[in-house]
Amino acid sequence: MSGRHVAFQEGAAQAFDADYVVAGSGAGGAAAAITLARAGFRVALVEAGPWRDPEDYPSSMYGTMRDMFADWGQLVAMGNPLGKDAIIPIVQAKLVGGTPIINSAIVVRTPGDVLADWRERFGLGDVFNEASIGAKQDQIERELSVTETAGAGMGPSGAAMLKALIDRGAEGHAIHRNVRAACEGAMQCLQGCKRRNKRTANFLWIPELQNERGGIVLSCAPVDRVLLENGQAVGVTGRWQHPQTRQKGATFTVRAKRGVLVAASATGSAPLLQRSGIRLPALGQGWRAHPGAGVVGVYPETMDMHKGASQAVASLQYRESIGIKMEHLSLPMELFAARVGGAGQTLMHKLEDYRHCAMWVNAVRADAVGTVKQNWLGGVSVTYQPTKKDLERLRTGSKMIAEMHFSQGAYKVLPGVFGMKSEIGPDEVHLFDTAPLDNRCYTWVLSHLFGGCNLGKDPQTSVVAPDLHVRGVRKLHVVDAAAIPTTLGVNPQHTIMAMAMVAAERLVGA
Amino acid sequence: MLHLTAWTLGRVFPSTAALPGLDAIDTKPFIRQLAREAPFTIRATLWASVLLFNLTPLLTLGIPLPAFLLSPARVDAHAQKLSGSNIYLLRQIVLMLKTIGGLAWGAMPELRAKFEMPAYPEDSGRWRQS
Ligand SMILES: Cc1cc2nc3c(=O)[nH]c(=O)nc-3n(C[C@H](O)[C@H](O)[C@H](O)COP(=O)(O)OP(=O)(O)OC[C@H]3O[C@@H](n4cnc5c(N)ncnc54)[C@H](O)[C@@H]3O)c2cc1C
Repeated sequence: MSGRHVAFQEGAAQAFDADYVVAGSGAGGAAAAITLARAGFRVALVEAGPWRDPEDYPSSMYGTMRDMFADWGQLVAMGNPLGKDAIIPIVQAKLVGGTPIINSAIVVRTPGDVLADWRERFGLGDVFNEASIGAKQDQIERELSVTETAGAGMGPSGAAMLKALIDRGAEGHAIHRNVRAACEGAMQCLQGCKRRNKRTANFLWIPELQNERGGIVLSCAPVDRVLLENGQAVGVTGRWQHPQTRQKGATFTVRAKRGVLVAASATGSAPLLQRSGIRLPALGQGWRAHPGAGVVGVYPETMDMHKGASQAVASLQYRESIGIKMEHLSLPMELFAARVGGAGQTLMHKLEDYRHCAMWVNAVRADAVGTVKQNWLGGVSVTYQPTKKDLERLRTGSKMIAEMHFSQGAYKVLPGVFGMKSEIGPDEVHLFDTAPLDNRCYTWVLSHLFGGCNLGKDPQTSVVAPDLHVRGVRKLHVVDAAAIPTTLGVNPQHTIMAMAMVAAERLVGA
Repeated sequence: MLHLTAWTLGRVFPSTAALPGLDAIDTKPFIRQLAREAPFTIRATLWASVLLFNLTPLLTLGIPLPAFLLSPARVDAHAQKLSGSNIYLLRQIVLMLKTIGGLAWGAMPELRAKFEMPAYPEDSGRWRQS
């Protein structure tokens, strides 16, 4: 039973019918859509970005920003930039298949403490528990070929980090990724894996949905509003947008008999509900993240960040005690140039060392809570700043990473902290203790995002009830990172996909 | 603006004895492409950063001249001081120039060859039309 794919259209308005419509095709949206389609429902998957096949992925970072990132990566989290707040970039993709296409493919099961916390604080235990989430995570691991990183995927920087962790007596592991064992370690995870080793929905679940399950895929089709009639969601509408020129095209409407699932991400779902006229006290509130920042070690031998997976090694040792997850992260030269301090000759002299540099990062399980909302210019505003405690966590973690670099023979470390020396030697690691607790002094990046449509029992603090429907509206659900009510302290895609599948399966059974 | 942007990016990423910088190539085609393809916010922020880079030697060096009239050594000192300015928004100017300039610099085939990295093939930009 073959379905359809409709990309950018001009001219007359077009209308489609389905049982369910899913807005957004990333980790949550694709997982929910395939679950519903396999259960026999006709599903329309509506995605703001274009559908790119791996052969068409870019190689350069310019191409990656243009072709893969959501709106060239221009979305930032801000507080008051004229005050003491930092401007923090938010990285996401806008593609059929969503952010997993550009992510590092790290697969971590939902920690038991997270599920216990959700059970106790938010009453979510009936729906999301070890059994329901675990079963879906088994399935995802099978379908997306999750394997432990090894061989060429490890790369010199990853191998050095693993050894540093072992030498320190800390937990460290080769990362499990939704990547086939054939990974050649070409360090192209961020650009998208042209070799199809990274297993993503754009060439697995979504073609299955279209070709075998009769589904409809609309690409280049940002949903503007959820259609509501008599307190019930009946479909979505929007206008196609050309992925290159950003020119607006024809209007589309998808009507869905059984319901609407919103999965436009932690920066997209709450604004979409706001645009649709939904007014709930918690909508756009409770926005969270794992802000990350890295420390670079410079070694006498080559570390060749361009060899190996973008991320191959991690440690959960300090997740609970400090609230950080340590990871190796290799950056392409283009991005590394922006991360290194200075400008002019000073910058270039540092960049001469590129092949000798290794970067290891801390993702902070931050306390900070922010907001996301539709702004008056028609865009999205995110207000978010790591707290003093979060900065302390990063500072502690950065010091440990500096120690680890030196333990592996680095002869200097670039802390990447304004207000500290730009390069430190092995005797100067203590300088981290007095590094400024000021967000403007760090090169934070946000890539693990949560909330805005938080799940929970309390109508004042949640948008989505434990049975996953949006409060006060029938047949409307949120099935992506926007519904997650806390940080996880681990990489989120596995949890998001599993939750979306559990949610979709409940609809099947309903 | 095109010439000033090209010149400014060349000062942020100047050649050294060991590495080619953006002053070693003609970055104007890159800037034209960016001006054609990037969203307004990116373009506006880049132009604003180029202008502010050129208008701030008074703040960094105490010299009341635009950066493009300074000697190469002074421009370099200006770039370095601006990147270490105590004023956050001035540092952000340099970060913007590094982010955009880095896209051109890191893709230079001669630079990638120096680092024993293959040159990038052209990005097709293709997507499924049906
Ligand atoms: C560089 C990077 C590396 C990462 N690495 C990892 C990792 O290794 N492991 C891990 O677990 N997590 C990782 N993450 C995070 C992970 O990818 C995200 O948490 C996850 O993809 C979020 O899933 P989602 O469904 O909420 O949103 P997304 O996957 O972002 O999908 C949302 C989709 O909705 C679309 N959309 C938005 N608005 C609309 C609209 N109005 N109408 C229609 N469609 C819309 C978007 O275009 C997008 O395709 C990484 C993230 C980044 C940026």
